[in-house]
Amino acid sequence: MTTIADELTIERRGHAGAAARRRTNFVIFLGPAILLTVLFFVVPVIIDITVSFTDLSRSLRISEFTTEQYEKVFRTDRRLSQVIGLTFIYVFGTLAIFNVTFGLILAITTTAIRNVSGSFFRGVWLLPRMSPSVLYILLWLWAVSPTEAGLINQVLMQAFGLDAPLDLLTSAPIALIIISNGFIGASMGMIIFTAAIRGIPEHLFHAAAVDGAGTFATIRFITLPALRWPISFVTIYQTLSLLVSFEYILLLTKGGPFYDTTVYALYVYRRAFESGQYGYGAALALFLIVIGVIVALLGWRFFDMERLLQRPRIEVH
Amino acid sequence: MKACRGWEEIRMFHWKIGTAALLSAAFAAGSAALLAATPLVAQETVKLELWSRQDPSGPLRPGNVIKATERLNKELEAEGSPKRVEVAVRESPAKGFDDDALQLLKVFGVGEGPDMFIAAHEWICAFQEDGFALKLDDYIAKYPQHFGTIFPSLWSSAKCPDGTYAIPQDAEARMFFYNKKLLREAGYDAAFVDAMPERALSGDLTLDEVLEIAKQVVDKTKAQYGVLHRPNKGPDYIMVFQAYGSDFVDPTTGKLLLERDKLAAAFGWFERGVKEGVIPANNTAMEFDALRKEFYTGNAAFFMYGIWDLGSVAFPTYGLPQEEKAFFADWGWIAGPAPQKGGSPVSLTHPIVYVIAADTKEPELAVRLLGHASAADLNTDHAVTTTHLGIKPEQLEDPRYAKAWPLARATELLKITKFLPNNSQFGDLNGIIYAGIQGIESGRLSAEQAADFVIEEASSSLEDVIVK
Repeated sequence: MTTIADELTIERRGHAGAAARRRTNFVIFLGPAILLTVLFFVVPVIIDITVSFTDLSRSLRISEFTTEQYEKVFRTDRRLSQVIGLTFIYVFGTLAIFNVTFGLILAITTTAIRNVSGSFFRGVWLLPRMSPSVLYILLWLWAVSPTEAGLINQVLMQAFGLDAPLDLLTSAPIALIIISNGFIGASMGMIIFTAAIRGIPEHLFHAAAVDGAGTFATIRFITLPALRWPISFVTIYQTLSLLVSFEYILLLTKGGPFYDTTVYALYVYRRAFESGQYGYGAALALFLIVIGVIVALLGWRFFDMERLLQRPRIEVH
Repeated sequence: MKACRGWEEIRMFHWKIGTAALLSAAFAAGSAALLAATPLVAQETVKLELWSRQDPSGPLRPGNVIKATERLNKELEAEGSPKRVEVAVRESPAKGFDDDALQLLKVFGVGEGPDMFIAAHEWICAFQEDGFALKLDDYIAKYPQHFGTIFPSLWSSAKCPDGTYAIPQDAEARMFFYNKKLLREAGYDAAFVDAMPERALSGDLTLDEVLEIAKQVVDKTKAQYGVLHRPNKGPDYIMVFQAYGSDFVDPTTGKLLLERDKLAAAFGWFERGVKEGVIPANNTAMEFDALRKEFYTGNAAFFMYGIWDLGSVAFPTYGLPQEEKAFFADWGWIAGPAPQKGGSPVSLTHPIVYVIAADTKEPELAVRLLGHASAADLNTDHAVTTTHLGIKPEQLEDPRYAKAWPLARATELLKITKFLPNNSQFGDLNGIIYAGIQGIESGRLSAEQAADFVIEEASSSLEDVIVK
């Protein structure tokens, strides 16, 4: 015989048990991710903000807390506008030409041909990503060497009769950093788009063919609509990745000639680590973090990622 | 019974004597052993750490300090001191002395600094300003046997505003090397080519004439380049700025000084060089080794660099003649020419120095150790093997030194030589000047814009810059 009070107690215990279970699950499943985010994002951001309000310089000593670094950012640093303009060209150039468009072309063409050949070409395009960055850039340095020994000059001079060797590192440095980064970036889009194309139900292509759709019509009306989510993801992800990465540029052009290829992240590096202005570097880096967060949020909004991440209302089989 | 007792007593007496003798012998032996062992037990090893950049152009800079430990330890032994010195070298892989100094400042900043370090002289005040370098005036006066004969002119490269903070380790000379063979091929007669060093020293040969000669070489011979300079931040190209009157430091205040017109005039020389096709537009993008190869294999008329490169690279790697007469038949060097006829020529010397950390526990021993490392014979070992100039007059009498003709010949340039300024921010300013040269050569800036660029950058990122 249980009384109403007992039943209530059991129910409360049940609720309490469920709440405890929810808490445990939260800790087990989200704990590691939260810990990593705090350790590798929140804590560095706090350190960066703190350093940006100091005069930390080459001997790593702080003698005062100051807003001097922000005054420099807004008032005295005349390179900054040029650097921001270049970063825009570099990020959107690489993204628009290679990471999305070329990645998409590679995915569509390698899925349209025989499986073996498709896999082979995808493998070839993955090689730059698999090579160590120093090795990859060494090959580039040889390819664009301004002497007759450079690969591109050998081809142009011997096959096309060019008189004097070209110096692409001086005459076209921005194009070079876009191409060298794009060759690596394209492979990520290629893999994600290939997986997405493989996921499109086969019968849709057959139905389109029966309806008389040509290759371009099939791409336009079947393939591309199915790739909306992957394209949005690759765009946002690669934008953020291009904004903060500079190792290939540093290795290839060292940010030069002059400041021609010094993108924002490399500028922060040059200021902080080549000139020893750590406080100023931290202030500049803070803007990079802010820009990154804004770009991510804008992308989320623009591509309507929330809706894309929702559970599909109709299952397509 | 009595007799028996007497015998017992005698035996007892003997035993006592024997025991006492044995014990005394043991005590005596023990004391002797203890006495003998005392110096060993009390000997104290002092470990001193020396920071040195891995530098093939001067392996004996740290090497001589290690050799000096033996001399110092003998001296300590003779003095009856229980201390013995041991040196551990911490090698840094930095590409140049600028990178090395920046790295070392951080190392000191986190409290991991060495007891002694090797640096380019223009950086010492950066260490002094942050309290990392030991003031040496009293020690130098205390040990005249070690430091008394070092050339007085070299000491000025070891000074900061309030005293001496370093010990000169070597000196050298920067110049414009030139390829006589190419000049002759371009139509200049041998007498003209051979007279160039004299003309440069007297102020008759100008910087613009060098561009003209280089242009003739590029136009009339197979050589591709007229004038080459280093492809990274460093001292040589500063000669051109010094020729046009920039010394970068205000003599009265010791602060950095930038004079716009003088900067623009020096940048103008680089601009004219590139426009004439004499200085390559990609000079700053070239690899150092590739650039050297261009000059030493006869593809460039002039190369702005330093005397030590002959011993370090030109002779061993590119097989330039090591015999004086044979060398000067096809190669030579001139001082940095004057900007206009009758003006002053320039040469630059870039001493490397030993510095002692302010917080070393054994400053006295460190000073004495570096004193021994600066001994004439050891310094001559460094000088003759790496073609650097010595630091003491007695080295000039060493037959090995006299035999090393590049040293004797380069010493002529010391009459007109200058130093880089010992200002703690000069290293940073030099980086900005180098970026200005890069801007001009790659066609991104005009000479006027480059001067403005240097002034803007320096004013915004450095402190206390005087602009005129």
